[in-house]
Amino acid sequence: MNLAINLIQALLLIAIAPLVSGIIARSKAQMQNRRGASLWRPYAELLKLFRKQDLVPDTASALFRFAPVILFAATATAAAFVPVLHPSALFDVSGDIILFVYLLAIGRFFLMLGAMDGGSSFGGLGASREALVSALAEAPLLLALISVAILSHTVSLSGIVLATVRQDPLHLSAVYAFALGALVLVAIAETGRIPVDNPSTHLELTMIHEAMVLEYSGPSLALIEWASAMKLTLILALLTGIFAPWGMATNASIAALFLAPLVFAVKLALLAAVIAVIESSIAKLRIYLIPDFLGMASALAILAVAFTALMR
Amino acid sequence: MGLIELAAAKALASSAVFLFITLLMMAAAKRISTCIVLFSIQSAIMAAEILGMAYAGKSVAAYAVAALVITVKVIAIPYALFRIVKDLKASQDVSSSTTGAQSVFIMAGLILLSFFAVAPYAITLRLDEDLLAAAVALLLAGAFLMVSRKKALMQVIGLLVLENGIFVAALTTTYGMPLVIEIGIFFDLLMGVFLMGLFVFRIRDTFEHLDVSKLRRLRG
Repeated sequence: MNLAINLIQALLLIAIAPLVSGIIARSKAQMQNRRGASLWRPYAELLKLFRKQDLVPDTASALFRFAPVILFAATATAAAFVPVLHPSALFDVSGDIILFVYLLAIGRFFLMLGAMDGGSSFGGLGASREALVSALAEAPLLLALISVAILSHTVSLSGIVLATVRQDPLHLSAVYAFALGALVLVAIAETGRIPVDNPSTHLELTMIHEAMVLEYSGPSLALIEWASAMKLTLILALLTGIFAPWGMATNASIAALFLAPLVFAVKLALLAAVIAVIESSIAKLRIYLIPDFLGMASALAILAVAFTALMR
Repeated sequence: MGLIELAAAKALASSAVFLFITLLMMAAAKRISTCIVLFSIQSAIMAAEILGMAYAGKSVAAYAVAALVITVKVIAIPYALFRIVKDLKASQDVSSSTTGAQSVFIMAGLILLSFFAVAPYAITLRLDEDLLAAAVALLLAGAFLMVSRKKALMQVIGLLVLENGIFVAALTTTYGMPLVIEIGIFFDLLMGVFLMGLFVFRIRDTFEHLDVSKLRRLRG
């Protein structure tokens, strides 16, 4: 029974990822007084891309073809570590908060290699910017996760979520508040949303993620798009799991199991709406201000770790 | 335990955390109007704290103080500051001499410092360590905002944050001052803000900017 739920929640994260980007695009369009495309458009887009021919530049090596596959595989593996419907995950090893962070990093590393292998100057430009952002985002991400881990006396994601579920929902800990602030800033940078990166731009001066995938087409592009949608969903699921896991099925009763997906869907839709509001109301930062933006996340994460010693 | 009692206990227990959050956001804020809104929120948190204490202590004077805080600090002073910002027609930038990340780092350091500063007193006086630390952090943060922001209006906001710190310190150590003195302090504060508002206008008219780092020479 437990194994079945774990398998379902991992597959669920992979399957609903395009829908989350659809919801964000739709709510953004409605905030800007447009009707917007259907919620299911990302799926249609993926289907279309999978049917198309995969064009590879003459200068590219075999790495160019492998990179999207490795990116997708690493992100899908990371999905198996995130508790969604109940406080337990398919892969539950001690220390998996570090593994989770670096599985995402492996995917990003290969995407950067593939971008540089494509041979266009935009690929190199996007890859170097992505390297800057990810190097700056890594420290606050790990520190914030570690502060939460110290507080819950466990280094596994499922253990952290279980510790939060058992907490009194009204009890506000300073560590959680600061870690949440740091993780939200990092999540924006990691998933390439405004104000760090604009996912819908194709202007060479500002793009980061889009510059890296310019040379890709067909099934490779589909895998990359799916993987980045999945990464966004994973990080949103992680945020709800660590900071607001209430509504997860803590026992195996039928009612709890039916309620959990509904509560998760509501939380995810709310977060997607918040992203749409942020993206419609804030301008993108200049690229030289991104270190400043992530420096704030580092300060918050360090404060969160320091408070684990103070708040006893 | 009734719902109101529970809410009062929660307001007291977590108000320090909320105060820290407003301080960190003030350090990150780039616009003067954001700082004014944050000051208003900070005062509202203080008012909630006083209401919690008033409910726990069943004191009528504390309710009056809470009403004063809400009318003066949550509504009147932010409204006056917004009017000044609007009438000045100057740029909204706080023109900080430290970058955003540096400011947040310094603010985080000040918060930690205040915890170490109050630890011995909190044990000997048997007080709530978090709230006392929040009071000291507000004092330090107000001073930091005053020295690091170049706009004349930010000096006013820094002073107001500092005053909030003194208020929280009084609240945690002696459960607030007598009502007459509180009223006097609030009247003083309101007059202070009006006077400083006038000064800001005079600075703008005489020097045609609000940058206090450039105020080196006397001018008639």
